[in-house]
Amino acid sequence: MSDGVSRWLLRKGAGMLLTMLAVSFLVFAVLEFNVDDVAVKVLGQFSTADQRQAWLQENGYTAPFLLRYVRWLGEFITGHWGTSTYYREDVLTLIAPRLAASGLLAGTALLVIVPVGLLMGVIAGVKEGSIVDRLVSVFAIVTTSIPEFASAVFLTAFFVFWLGWLPGVSTMADGFHLRELVLPVSVLTLYSAGYIARMTRASMAEVMQTPYIRTARLKGNPLLRVIVRHALRNALITPVTVIMLQIPWLLSGVIVVEVFFAYQGFGTLLYQAALNTDIYLIEACTMVSVVAVVATQVASDLMYAWLNPRMSLRTAGRIEGGK
Amino acid sequence: MMFGNCDDSEPILAVEGLTVALPKGADRALAVDAVSLELRRGEILCIVGESGSGKSALTGAIMGAPAPGLRVTGGSVRLCGKELTKLSERAWCRIRGNRIAMIFQEPMASLNPSIPVGQQIMEVFELHARMRVSERRERALTLIRSMQLPDPERIFASFPHQLSGGQCQRVIIAMALAMNPEVLIADEPTTALDVTTQAQVLKLIRELREAQGHGILFITHDFGVVAEVADRIAVMRYGKIVEMGEARRVLTQPVHPYTRELIAAVPSLTPPSSKEPVDGDGAKTVLAVTGLAKSYGRVHAVNEVTFALERGTTLSVVGESGCGKSSLARLIVRLTEPTSGRVDVNGKCFLTLQGRELRASCRAVQMIFQDPFGSLNPLRRAGATIARAAMLAGADRRTARARAGELFDRVGLPREGLDRRPSAFSGGQKQRIGIARALAMNPDVLIADESLSALDASSQAQILQLLCKLQNELGLAILMITHDLRVAAQISHRIAVMQAGRIVEIGPAEQVINSPQHPYTRELLESAPGRGLV
Amino acid sequence: MTARYQWLRSLARPTAAIGALLVGGWLLVALLSHALAPYDPLHSMVPLLTPGSRGPAGNIFWLGTDSLGRDVLSRLIYGARTVVVVATVATLTAYAVGITTGLLAGYFRGRVDVALSFFANVVLSFPVLVLYIVIIVALGASAANVVLAVTFGSAPAIFRIVRAITIDLRGRDFIAAAITQGESTWRILLVEILPNSSGALIVDFCLRLGYSAITMGVLGFLGLGLPPPTPDWGGMVNEGRTMAFAFPHLVLFPCLAISSLVLGLSLLADGLRQPPGRVGRAG
Repeated sequence: MSDGVSRWLLRKGAGMLLTMLAVSFLVFAVLEFNVDDVAVKVLGQFSTADQRQAWLQENGYTAPFLLRYVRWLGEFITGHWGTSTYYREDVLTLIAPRLAASGLLAGTALLVIVPVGLLMGVIAGVKEGSIVDRLVSVFAIVTTSIPEFASAVFLTAFFVFWLGWLPGVSTMADGFHLRELVLPVSVLTLYSAGYIARMTRASMAEVMQTPYIRTARLKGNPLLRVIVRHALRNALITPVTVIMLQIPWLLSGVIVVEVFFAYQGFGTLLYQAALNTDIYLIEACTMVSVVAVVATQVASDLMYAWLNPRMSLRTAGRIEGGK
Repeated sequence: MMFGNCDDSEPILAVEGLTVALPKGADRALAVDAVSLELRRGEILCIVGESGSGKSALTGAIMGAPAPGLRVTGGSVRLCGKELTKLSERAWCRIRGNRIAMIFQEPMASLNPSIPVGQQIMEVFELHARMRVSERRERALTLIRSMQLPDPERIFASFPHQLSGGQCQRVIIAMALAMNPEVLIADEPTTALDVTTQAQVLKLIRELREAQGHGILFITHDFGVVAEVADRIAVMRYGKIVEMGEARRVLTQPVHPYTRELIAAVPSLTPPSSKEPVDGDGAKTVLAVTGLAKSYGRVHAVNEVTFALERGTTLSVVGESGCGKSSLARLIVRLTEPTSGRVDVNGKCFLTLQGRELRASCRAVQMIFQDPFGSLNPLRRAGATIARAAMLAGADRRTARARAGELFDRVGLPREGLDRRPSAFSGGQKQRIGIARALAMNPDVLIADESLSALDASSQAQILQLLCKLQNELGLAILMITHDLRVAAQISHRIAVMQAGRIVEIGPAEQVINSPQHPYTRELLESAPGRGLV
Repeated sequence: MTARYQWLRSLARPTAAIGALLVGGWLLVALLSHALAPYDPLHSMVPLLTPGSRGPAGNIFWLGTDSLGRDVLSRLIYGARTVVVVATVATLTAYAVGITTGLLAGYFRGRVDVALSFFANVVLSFPVLVLYIVIIVALGASAANVVLAVTFGSAPAIFRIVRAITIDLRGRDFIAAAITQGESTWRILLVEILPNSSGALIVDFCLRLGYSAITMGVLGFLGLGLPPPTPDWGGMVNEGRTMAFAFPHLVLFPCLAISSLVLGLSLLADGLRQPPGRVGRAG
């Protein structure tokens, strides 16, 4: 690997670490600064002051804040994420399978979102100003205006209550059923595909206006070749990175969708934790989701640098051009 | 040569009554108004006009690919006798790049940034010829070699952003010539290039005409370039051709008043006989720059520049892009802080001033900028902009407003314009507002940073006149930053030539132009197109 | 037409007009909620009436009643008030923070920029909903905390937009002219740069109002929003979910309400966007 690449990776890695550190500090400060609050949340509202005091002392909460933070950080890094007060289980073992389940949901959704969004966007961008373009734009505006829980309601009303074609909940209680994934994936798709279509359309329309596309046309290329051979590879750079940056949005949407359809994933876990002020579980879930977001940001930067020939990690060194 | 069905007696390209309509809401109905012209084999026909004259719309129509919104509404275009205007898109695809080819104004932007340039040349063969891949590659390499590009293999594998502007333009010319087209349309091909590169590309185009016998339609707004390459000239205005004829005749004895106006607007390379400084009573140095330097890491943008500027005189700093002349201007007004050196304004050290002192003294050196569109706040009315400048110089509100009116008169703008926003003015008028804004502070030195580059030839001439007039009336010292030797020749008392951050030659205008000392100065002068005729 | 009033003209376009109508409509509903609502939204009457049915006293419930007997229509109308007020306050606060930090970071660059950008990145590393959940859990559910959550969620994005515009404008010559004429930094930021960003910011403002409304809806849906019994569209969906199969009106109407409001804002934003000039040039 060339020198420039490894330096760039090092910088990105350091940035990631620093961000994670700041995030961990923020999370800990927000949730565990006030020790009395923590005691109330862990022991419940009906605990007495004495019980709380005893518990605080037992669990090292009488120490100063910064010391507590460092201790907590150390334990966190080594995988000791505490015990959930609601589920009464070790948090780490609780999260793992749920994360996998959400991964399945998000992954399936992406498999639908990406092709649909890209295709709509490319067609709309090439035929800028046409009916297709207007339709795609309107579709995108409408779907990105309907919050996920609302589209879940609409789809459920239509496909479950009225037509009865699909199940209303997706608990996967008796094994895996594809049917139970249809509605959750559809809700996620509606929101994200529209957004990606808009981004792709804008990128495509911009590329079609460039001088080099005019050159391609004036060389004698028929329109289809112009699109496929010249336009796409430049127009798709932005959407690809945008898709990677959609994953944080997807995470938020996944939470809502899982809660709505009672899908036993990471989202419902966080939801239960929030409702029951399960501090340690919330902390762990938050940290995990932040890791996911930061990782996708770095991956997105990598993708962009790899795809964009001007910043290409492939081309080694600048050529000192003369005239 | 494979010109097939074209015999020598016929023109290879015949345009008759071609009309292109603009969409509703444009400032006139027709982009191209019943234009007729002929192009013969082996000749260069230059189409000259200012921006908005319709010359680019014409080329788009000839290629059957008018710009979005434009429609061809009438007339005929015949290539070797064959009618082109009614062709289907499929038929057009066989002709474009094959029998009519085009080269463009922005070479780097006209190449696909994601594909190595060699493959882009090969694509022409893929579209129009039956060859094996290896043969295409060979041909492409041969073409690159014939463009006098060094290290053809490396150029073949490069992406456009790894090449210079001149190299990209040669690649585009190679692409255009790949199939030996009858007609080559060159749309402002050298406008975006440095003057030395421009000279090389023009030379290349002339050689092509002689060796291969292509007919070349050369679009430009620059009469110097026209004088350099044209066999015949057609002058366009508002979509019509107002004059057409042999190059020599049109340049020396123009018939149409517009042509005369355009040619008169081109500054001559001969400086007017001994310009005297305006202020007779002893030269007072208003600006003294000593050893000024700015480096970014190991790159020296400005390298030990020293000169002095006297009251009532004009010093032009000439050089190509990247030589550091604009950086120099920005250093003097402290938009960027120098790494070393001294700037003395009216005898006092300027670089060490801070805060209130700086605000009080900055009025002495004012700047007018290159881009008329970006140099004025689009939301502020012209009068308010100038009044604000006057208030910053110490006037109260009422005086400032009166001053704005006075300055408008001085720069030759109608007083109604005071209440209008920049969008209501033309490029040349916007520059006048910029000058008025600078004058509102009663400066001693006016720095013009490429202030004429974005203007048409006629606007340029007017602004040059205005600057001379202001110098006479107010005794201003002017530092003119420009890449155009003609402008420098006309307005300067002294000229400084910059290369790679250094001043390589400095002296009285006549001396630098007529007997240049430094080889680079000589190169610049030789590259200036149209030396002989204009 | 001068630049300042150009945007009024763009309202005439169909998308913007529909958007303006929707938004205006909900705005009116919010302002006139006292007059429009037929009943007290907190008053329990007859539970689970279907839309259009009448109560024992013969009074009509146009959209039915919920499980506690409260009139859905009235709750919807008062819910509009809640959304409009809270979303607007939250968005304005986010804008205040975002604009200030964005201007400073974009104009001065250097260490100020590095620090502010880092902080924005840290906040942006949280998936939006997770951020909201953490804030609400830590601080409790109240209108003020919802405002705080939305501010945290939106300010970094606004910061980035303003910063990018500021950096772009700062490179323009009219800013250079102001600097060389000794204009004070504050005036440059507030008089030269900010007004020239207004086009993009107005569009973003409409969109962000929509996002804030969605946020309130989602928080309400998750039971983390404004505490009951405040009428809240998201909360209504949450409460009615379990009985949705038998009584779909409990969830459909709040969902339609929030969708139409946000759709109106999106259409308005789209309509206010200045399209790039498409008129052909003679050239």
